[in-house]
Amino acid sequence: MTQPTLLSTTELSIGYNNICVASNVTLTLAGGDVLAVVGHNGSGKSTLIKTLLRALPPIKGELNWPNGRPEPIAYLGQRTDFDSQFPIRVSDLAAMGAWPKLGFFHKIDDECRTRISAALHRTGTSEIANMPLNKLSEGQLQRTLFARTMVQNAPLILLDEPFTAIDQDTETELLSLIGDWATEGRAVILVLHDLSAVLKYCNLALLLGDGQALFGNPREILAPRNLIRHKYLSKSRVDWMHDMYAQGGGKIV
Amino acid sequence: MTCMHKEAVKLFEWLDYAFMIRALCATTVMSFSIAPVGAFLVLRRLSLAGEAMAHAIVPGIVIGFVVAGLSVVSMVIGGLTAGIAVAALTSLLARKTIIREDASLASLYLTALALGIFILSAAGSAVPLKSFLFGSILGIDNQTLGLIGATTTITLVSFSIILRSLITDTIDPIFHESQTRHPSLVTQWFMFLVVLNLLGAFKTLGTLMAVGLMILPATAARYWTSTITSYLLLTVSFALFSCWVGLIISFYLTEVPSGPAIILVAAAVFFFSLFFGSHGFCATRWIFKSQTTNSVYTRKPPQFSKGENT
Repeated sequence: MTQPTLLSTTELSIGYNNICVASNVTLTLAGGDVLAVVGHNGSGKSTLIKTLLRALPPIKGELNWPNGRPEPIAYLGQRTDFDSQFPIRVSDLAAMGAWPKLGFFHKIDDECRTRISAALHRTGTSEIANMPLNKLSEGQLQRTLFARTMVQNAPLILLDEPFTAIDQDTETELLSLIGDWATEGRAVILVLHDLSAVLKYCNLALLLGDGQALFGNPREILAPRNLIRHKYLSKSRVDWMHDMYAQGGGKIV
Repeated sequence: MTCMHKEAVKLFEWLDYAFMIRALCATTVMSFSIAPVGAFLVLRRLSLAGEAMAHAIVPGIVIGFVVAGLSVVSMVIGGLTAGIAVAALTSLLARKTIIREDASLASLYLTALALGIFILSAAGSAVPLKSFLFGSILGIDNQTLGLIGATTTITLVSFSIILRSLITDTIDPIFHESQTRHPSLVTQWFMFLVVLNLLGAFKTLGTLMAVGLMILPATAARYWTSTITSYLLLTVSFALFSCWVGLIISFYLTEVPSGPAIILVAAAVFFFSLFFGSHGFCATRWIFKSQTTNSVYTRKPPQFSKGENT
């Protein structure tokens, strides 16, 4: 079953303060798609996410939302400005996902409460629901933030480097959760560094780098020649890996 | 019998004075608004910015006094104008020049404080410098009571509206920004409340001490609580306690201005909490010891918050 297109861009240029960091971003996204954004530091990954969130205007071109801009767009950003010392419980942080809809005055109703406890259960944080934030480990905190993202109940979900400082097991669990979101018909855009995870869990990839963008099937996009051209890997490094691969008789490890 | 009666009368002597009743009413009402505002200043790591703001509004208040006389209206207009000007100038300096926000704030507030005291002394104001800087329980007239009532009403109504936004913006500003069209609105509104509360507290505590009643109860309460509701309630309780005890001390030691008396009581509460609070020095040392045998990262963590919400 093909889902209707959610978002499309043609030759979009993104940047900030009128400095273009990536141009020719052409992509199409439908419900159920998982799009990985890959690129070197400063290639415009976070800039793209911020442009989608309207925090930054596009420098050239525009974002087309054929069925209207979804409300809300769920977002899980990098944790640089996050205050994990704030006196609040895990369940309250998850409930924060309902805030944009609740606005100033509405109460959390039964339907919302069910969604919150389902999200806590799915992310494995039910047991720690009453713990204060500052007692959490990195992994527990990230699970809680995934619960908040679920509570947002959004058709489009943006995740900016969600697996930094997270152990491998948690990462695998959360990646399977992202797979479930796609099955539910939600579209997910996530910034990733783990290329094997891109091949395994994403059906689309956007490679940013050197001011340019390449969009398509992950297996084609992440070919070594593309990674070199977009400055994600250096030529010498790929050559070295190739050598080691040949030396090991087709096995690196 | 009569002797004991006399003793009791003496103990509650301050109740016979109208200015004391007025001061008690003023600080009681004030605590309900200045404490939660201070709590969020502490949570948002803006304690020093609040301190700077308290000094920065001084020239506005003084110019208001000199131009329009000793009225609450002139004080509020002058103070709000100065507060907004300093806030705008600070962010402008931080964005457009090489100086960081803390440095530009410090430069501005020292200038403002010097300017304020300079004008006050040069113009020969009716307000004595000591009570201007450190507050006076004698200075609370009906107008001041009105200002405090209005400030508390505005603050509490505002909080009931912006509380969710404010909490979200404090914990995760990037998330907050992504979910609303006007993310800076809540920040600006909050800074307005800070200035308004500083003005409300100015008469009782003086310009140098006003911010203390915001910061000290809030930092003290942080050592006892781990949910936002209990935190806010405890800051209000600590503020009330500091005000009442401080005022009575200031009543008996007539040479001591009310500001330092109240702030010293708040400081005593702070140091007590620092050592004996459930997240204080002694408790964390104890938890640190117990962690060697029972890691926090085990699946079932120890319930540190138990008993606290009951």
